[in-house]
Amino acid sequence: MATTQVQEKPRLESIFDECRVISEDVEFEAAKRWLAKNPGRKAIGCFPIYAPVELIHAAGMLPLGIIGAGNQIEITHADSRFQSFVCSIVKSTLELGFTDRLKFMEGMMFHSICDPARNLASVFIRNFPGTFVEYVHFPQNLASPLGTQYLETEYRRVLGNLEARAGRKVTTEDLNRSIQLYNQIRGILRELYQIRADSPQLISATESFVLTRAGTLMAPEDHLKMLQEVLGLVRVRPARPKDRIRVVLEGSFCELPPIALIETLEEAGCYILDDDFLRGWRWFTSDIPIQSNPLTALAESYANRSYYSGIKHDTRETKFGHLIQMAKDKKADAVIIQAAKFCEPALFDYALYRKALDDANIPHLLLEFEEKTWIFDRARSEVETFVESLLFD
Amino acid sequence: MIYAAGVDVGSTQTKAIVLSEERKIIGRALINTGAFVSQAAERAFKEAAKDAGIPAEDIAYVVGTGYGRYKVNFGNAQITEISCHARGAKFLFPKTQTVIDMGGQDAKGIRVGPDGDVKDFVMNDKCAAGTGRFLSNAADTLSVSLDDIGPISLTGKKPVRLSTVCAVFVESDIMSYLAEGKTMPDILAGVHSAIAARTIALVRRVGIEPEVSFTGGVSRNIGMVKALEEKLKLPVNVCDDSHYIGAIGAALFALERAVAGVTEIKDVQMNTEPGKAPLIMPTLPGTHAAQ
Amino acid sequence: MAANGQKSDKKTDYQGKMHNLQKDMIGRYYDSLTACAEGKGGKAVYMMISGNPVELIQAFDMIPVYPEVNALQLAVKKQALPLILEAEEMGYSTDNCAYVKADIGMYFKGRKTPFATIPEPDLILCNYVGCNVYLQWFEHLAQYSGREIYNLDIPFSRTLTDEPSEEDLNYVVKQLEEIIEVCERITGKSLDYKKLQRIVELSGETGALWCEIKKLTMCRPSPFDSYFDSVTMMAPLYCLRGTEDGLWFFQEAYKEMKARADRHEGPLPEEKFRFVIEGPPPWPYLRQFRDMFSRWGAVAVASTYSTVGGIWEFGFRHDPMRPLESIAKHMLQFNLTNRNFIQRYKQIKDYVEQWNADALVIHSVKSCRLFSAGQGDMREYFTKELNVPTLLIESDLEDPRYFSEAQLRNRVDAFFESLEHRKMLVAK
Repeated sequence: MATTQVQEKPRLESIFDECRVISEDVEFEAAKRWLAKNPGRKAIGCFPIYAPVELIHAAGMLPLGIIGAGNQIEITHADSRFQSFVCSIVKSTLELGFTDRLKFMEGMMFHSICDPARNLASVFIRNFPGTFVEYVHFPQNLASPLGTQYLETEYRRVLGNLEARAGRKVTTEDLNRSIQLYNQIRGILRELYQIRADSPQLISATESFVLTRAGTLMAPEDHLKMLQEVLGLVRVRPARPKDRIRVVLEGSFCELPPIALIETLEEAGCYILDDDFLRGWRWFTSDIPIQSNPLTALAESYANRSYYSGIKHDTRETKFGHLIQMAKDKKADAVIIQAAKFCEPALFDYALYRKALDDANIPHLLLEFEEKTWIFDRARSEVETFVESLLFD
Repeated sequence: MIYAAGVDVGSTQTKAIVLSEERKIIGRALINTGAFVSQAAERAFKEAAKDAGIPAEDIAYVVGTGYGRYKVNFGNAQITEISCHARGAKFLFPKTQTVIDMGGQDAKGIRVGPDGDVKDFVMNDKCAAGTGRFLSNAADTLSVSLDDIGPISLTGKKPVRLSTVCAVFVESDIMSYLAEGKTMPDILAGVHSAIAARTIALVRRVGIEPEVSFTGGVSRNIGMVKALEEKLKLPVNVCDDSHYIGAIGAALFALERAVAGVTEIKDVQMNTEPGKAPLIMPTLPGTHAAQ
Repeated sequence: MAANGQKSDKKTDYQGKMHNLQKDMIGRYYDSLTACAEGKGGKAVYMMISGNPVELIQAFDMIPVYPEVNALQLAVKKQALPLILEAEEMGYSTDNCAYVKADIGMYFKGRKTPFATIPEPDLILCNYVGCNVYLQWFEHLAQYSGREIYNLDIPFSRTLTDEPSEEDLNYVVKQLEEIIEVCERITGKSLDYKKLQRIVELSGETGALWCEIKKLTMCRPSPFDSYFDSVTMMAPLYCLRGTEDGLWFFQEAYKEMKARADRHEGPLPEEKFRFVIEGPPPWPYLRQFRDMFSRWGAVAVASTYSTVGGIWEFGFRHDPMRPLESIAKHMLQFNLTNRNFIQRYKQIKDYVEQWNADALVIHSVKSCRLFSAGQGDMREYFTKELNVPTLLIESDLEDPRYFSEAQLRNRVDAFFESLEHRKMLVAK
């Protein structure tokens, strides 16, 4: 034990608590406070998965991750617009709109992850006339250089719309400054994920989750400072490894699992060494180069400097290759595929993952979740059973 | 004198109503449907005629409704229970514009127009959320009778939040809460609240305009009535005999067609003959026609 | 559709001609698939129905194979369920699109169907026109077959203007050029540009005819049902577009339907209600579904589903003078799936107004979120803002387990009862 009896919480835990509060706040107080302190500045909401936040930031606006409402609100209006077989995040995000919780922002940015998300963009346009709604079409042909060339033109178009909304022009310097800033943020997040994979007792999946999530709801400058502090503290954290199975987790790239669910998984006996939570905000595997044409850098990095994700539809790789590789690299005992209920992309991927994991002899578990749960007994039992089956093999 | 009848063949019960030309209910019957649907329809019809004190052959027009409406083979027409429900509700509550129906197996929302026509409707018959089945599962899990869950729920102080409206999973939610030490009134209050919210979300698709009437088997549950009123912030009409609403509506359709040619149909008179209680009477304050 | 019990009518043969032609032509199309599967020649290219460059494929004499059409045929022939269950056993979810499941099930069962043996793909050409499931489906097939896949990426209609941008158009045209190279490699032939132009010209004429056929349903009574009859008329539109046969079919179809229109003949004894219908049909229960509307004298005068293959009623034509550009435009702008929801609202609104419809029926299908996700909002828009009576019903396009006849019938009956009432009031 490094310290004597302390009455206040250690600094690291306080930061994580603060992050948790921000993560669960559907009134977006942290963002609103920043906007109040910076009058004239505007905010743009980014629906999962990936949004080119640098473009928004370079235009002087604050990009915020609007990723459903978790288990914080009742869905009373949005239910009538989307059917029961559609994932919850689409409905809860629409509900945020109907309950005027998104009014403080200029609008939203969507992209082509899946059919419900795409239709959601139109529903927003129709129901909230006058708000800024942008839909980015990411290239689905990444096997050809045409894909990234196209993306550059798309970024130019989107930037033009952002400039119009922000009322200012964006220069190359603006863009590179924003890229640099987000590079730093993502760099630290990568480091923390690496620490977690090497020494999972130093930072839990829940902690890195709330840390990342909070960052999507605050100014990146502030997030960077927080991350730098956390990195320093985590490295010297007094914590002993526990006897847990090592898993990697995939499938939660869009709708967010309740924080308590992640905790439940960890308490049930798992070290979650890697995951794809908030994949869109941790898209890049290395820094985006700073060059004279930032849009080219961004477009090329989208395709070639990014983690594999099923929704990229990058036919240069198999859909399951990265998962097998990840499990091997991190020396995981098992893979948990944690997919949101009704999430079509994740459930499609699962069919291929299952066979590949079986062929590679990697134990795996499929866990379906909904953002709006707060009773986790069933999930806990499932995972505990799974863990036991591995431990007592 | 022209007589008309409506026969509502439901999955568990079959109801029949006989109307006189003056739009008065003069006979009724309620029997279990059982396995032989057309027989049940016929029996109910005959019993209602007997109850009215008139020969069955004197009834000029019969409309069949309910899921078994095509089995009312002696009927002159088949009309959906949605249309009949709207008519029947308007008959009982002349100012109603929205009907919330929660039955054993399905739930409906109907927006009713000035002459009892259906302006819009929405149904949930795919899952048990918002139906009697959900509540009976909850009651079974708590080993409480279905008649008691309503009154008990009203004594709850801190309703629990259900994480699901799935009738299958509600049981394990309830068990979890019991294990956590939550009280039965609080759990039941939470159950009623969740169902009310879910039902209102459904009915909102057709728009909620006062007066709101609540019909179907679940409408006898005082806990649900209160939960709906609380969430709607509107009073809700109920009637003890609301399971006749479909048959009443069907009979009204029948009567209309039987007297086709007559220009005016007078408004329903809820006044009863001296010494005789009306056969159908709204029972809660705030409902219309409390005379 | 064609003659019901009008045996004494000499015109029966003529009325049935289109129907028989279709059977014959599609039969031959499927035979070519089987021949290819049996190694008798031909290169098979898998594509999706909506917004595709079949003209290019025809120019190389390659055989277009449509997993979507195969899936729906399986459903119509009531063979889909066991295949869906196979796929679910492999790990596909109950929430995944049943078209895909049926197709994958069929793939692993030797690719044999009652109508053809489906060949392995020589090229999997995924024309991504809005439907994200298309991407998943073809990736899985690529994985299972080990064959070459090309994602033809068509940018989605995402701006406030309907016209695609120059950049989008260029992107698509350049990809088409890459595909030409791929096809040249696979077939060992170079592209015959004149042949392509001729094929594109045929497409243009075919599209023009289809447009005229669709306009016929503006008549009272409508000469055919623009949903139940259209969906059976559509197969030649993708399987045979760009061919002489395809053009001939639509010439015959137009003649037949025009003759009916001139004779004031509709598919039903009496046309009492005209409706627009949105959404794919429940293929396993097409006849029962149709009966639910027929008994009310209700005829569909326009449908959105019949535009998945392409929208020609608002002026688009394939242009042989600019073959690649017009193919690109067709894929970018003139098919249902690559257009956004708001554009679909406008399309339906135009149908309701220009085709004089009394109501809108939305058939929501569990499998297809492209169509269905958000139809609640569509319903709100049409009932509350446009005052169009709208019925929303749910089942599935492929999986027979989600069709509940009694419940659907109840809703349809209740809806038409209230429409009937409305008409009575107006008549008074």
